[in-house]
Amino acid sequence: MTHDLRRALAPRTVVVVGSKKADGYMWLRNYSTFTGNVYSVQIDPNEIPGIEALGVQNFTSLADVPGDIDYVMLAVPRQVAPRILADCAKRGVGGVSLFTSGFAETGEEEGIKLQQQLLEIAREGNVALIGPNCMGLYNRRLGVRQSGEQGAGEAGDAGFIGQSGTHSINFGLVGEAHGVRVSTSVSIGNAIILDVPDYLDYLTDDPETKVIAMYIEGVKDGSRFVESLRRATAKKPVVVWKGGVTDAGARATASHTGSLAAPRAVFDAIVRQAGAVPAHSLEDTIDVVKALLYAKPATGRRMGLMAMTGGQSVVITDAFVDAGLEVPRLTDASYEQLRSFFNIVGGSYQNPLDMGGTIGFGGSRETLGRLFDILDADVNIDAIAMEMASGFLARMWQSTPASLDTLLDAIDAHRNRSAKPFVAVLQPQHVEEVVVAARKRIQERGIAVFPSFERAAAALNRAIAVHRFRAGMD
Amino acid sequence: MAPSSIVERARAEGRTILTEIEAKQLLEQAGVPVSPARLATTKDAAIAAASELGFPIVLKIVSPQITHKTDVGGVALGLASAGDVGAAFDRIIASAKEHAPAATIEGVAVQRMEKAGTEVIIGMTKDAQFGPVLMFGLGGVLVEVLKDVAFRVVPINERDARQMVEEIKGYPILQGYRGQAPADLGKLHDLLLRVSSFVEEHPEIAELDLNPVFAYSDGAIAVDARVVIEGKA
Repeated sequence: MTHDLRRALAPRTVVVVGSKKADGYMWLRNYSTFTGNVYSVQIDPNEIPGIEALGVQNFTSLADVPGDIDYVMLAVPRQVAPRILADCAKRGVGGVSLFTSGFAETGEEEGIKLQQQLLEIAREGNVALIGPNCMGLYNRRLGVRQSGEQGAGEAGDAGFIGQSGTHSINFGLVGEAHGVRVSTSVSIGNAIILDVPDYLDYLTDDPETKVIAMYIEGVKDGSRFVESLRRATAKKPVVVWKGGVTDAGARATASHTGSLAAPRAVFDAIVRQAGAVPAHSLEDTIDVVKALLYAKPATGRRMGLMAMTGGQSVVITDAFVDAGLEVPRLTDASYEQLRSFFNIVGGSYQNPLDMGGTIGFGGSRETLGRLFDILDADVNIDAIAMEMASGFLARMWQSTPASLDTLLDAIDAHRNRSAKPFVAVLQPQHVEEVVVAARKRIQERGIAVFPSFERAAAALNRAIAVHRFRAGMD
Repeated sequence: MAPSSIVERARAEGRTILTEIEAKQLLEQAGVPVSPARLATTKDAAIAAASELGFPIVLKIVSPQITHKTDVGGVALGLASAGDVGAAFDRIIASAKEHAPAATIEGVAVQRMEKAGTEVIIGMTKDAQFGPVLMFGLGGVLVEVLKDVAFRVVPINERDARQMVEEIKGYPILQGYRGQAPADLGKLHDLLLRVSSFVEEHPEIAELDLNPVFAYSDGAIAVDARVVIEGKA
């Protein structure tokens, strides 16, 4: 049975069942930013005053809650969960997240039995059940959160599906700290009714979501997953972070092919075949999403590299070439222009452009602009990466904040004119606290910035692979 | 024999592994380029088949019980004439009877000895979640030790076939390494696509190995084939 998730995942009325002091009224606090109505259902008279003190209206029965209920967060003891779920079915709610754990994931008889009851009630009542054993929905625009630390307000661009509550929360938190904000994210728990393809289909059609990322450990219905993934990648980029990829489960079979087809190899193949991008960690997932959101789409792999010193020029080249990108010579026309003004004392312009001596460490906006224009016009170059020289410049950015703005203005002027993707590398160096502040200012401009050459290259390379796939090139 | 009757016969005999001759018959009917093999039960039939296929010839013992054919002296390579084929037929039958007296000997497979090409492997296995999965890799040591292989779920399209070939680390070898003629990549892609269709049309096949496949500058051919069928219908 398919469910329309629009009510559940973009709710106007939310009810928390079972909020209590012992968990700090966690769910009510998580929903304190919610733009719609939040109600509580709690029968324990000892808990009610604390709930009302939060300014939330409490009812002792779901039946008493006024109006339509779009989304329910159930945080009740597991033995009670089936009964409350049946109440939800009776009320015709839009969807239910079951935070409670202790079901089939325990492997014990009682938990398995209770999960079976949930399954039957949800099926019979056609309830869009999220979980159990999950952190539910994060809708940034509406302020429905999985954690009180997550941001709320303006809608983000990145949809997320997480088979882990921790990774779901962290994608929201760490992502936002790195410039990637969530549109809609769902922590899916045991996924007994709604599963990855249901959420994937929703995010595929969600206009706020520009890129979809997911953390998954296993797939229940392989062909449905592949079908849903293909449909998604036809509309927007999808990044798949697969947990549990060791080859320990490789089976012994009668054929060569069987023994070589470890689950990881097969899964990676499926991801590629469907036109999605594999990622390997939280940071890696955020990096790739960032490159997809903030670097312009390109299908070519030829990099124009810009660094401030000779040593950085060498290693930025190594990193991009190792990631599978190319660093070609520029056109003769470019060299002719560069020859006229580029300072080759302690610098060079073969590609990379070792440009510290040319633009000056204060970062002459005009000269930097000329370099950008040359790379932008150069037909041998598809994408541009620039080292920000934080090791030399961070102290100046700290003492004279306008100096960073001058640099960023030059970058923005280039980005506004150019169709080529641009990525910046801001290394932590020895001044991490300054760099963190600078990173925020760079991200606020919508620039894809990465903490190392390797991460920038790996992310950009996969973003380009997505664009190539979508263009029918690879 | 029709594809269904090949599988039915194997099942009736309690086998899940097809003989090389059966496997190649199935593949040949599906348009997969295989080096053809003929079953000969007499010396004269072996000589006739050899003359039809063209020399040099390889003979291999055919017995459901004998899986490691060389261990029982059941293989003869590079037979250049009718006389050689006749003598090798007698030698192989005698040797197999001596080393494996309990085995049922159905005859001898007569096969053309294909000229060596770049060895690749094409295979299929079934994933519990995703169903049939195709594999491509370079043959011999590279597949065994380095596991330098690429996978795609069935069915594959042309892009998948191309990517499978390009994805392996040994791809430069197929592109023509150090003056060696490049392999006919189009024929390899075509072979992968045909195997994909073959697998789709035969859900009763559990596993498949074409190993080796010889890749030439003007074609590709599966020299050996192993097909495992599902235990029950």
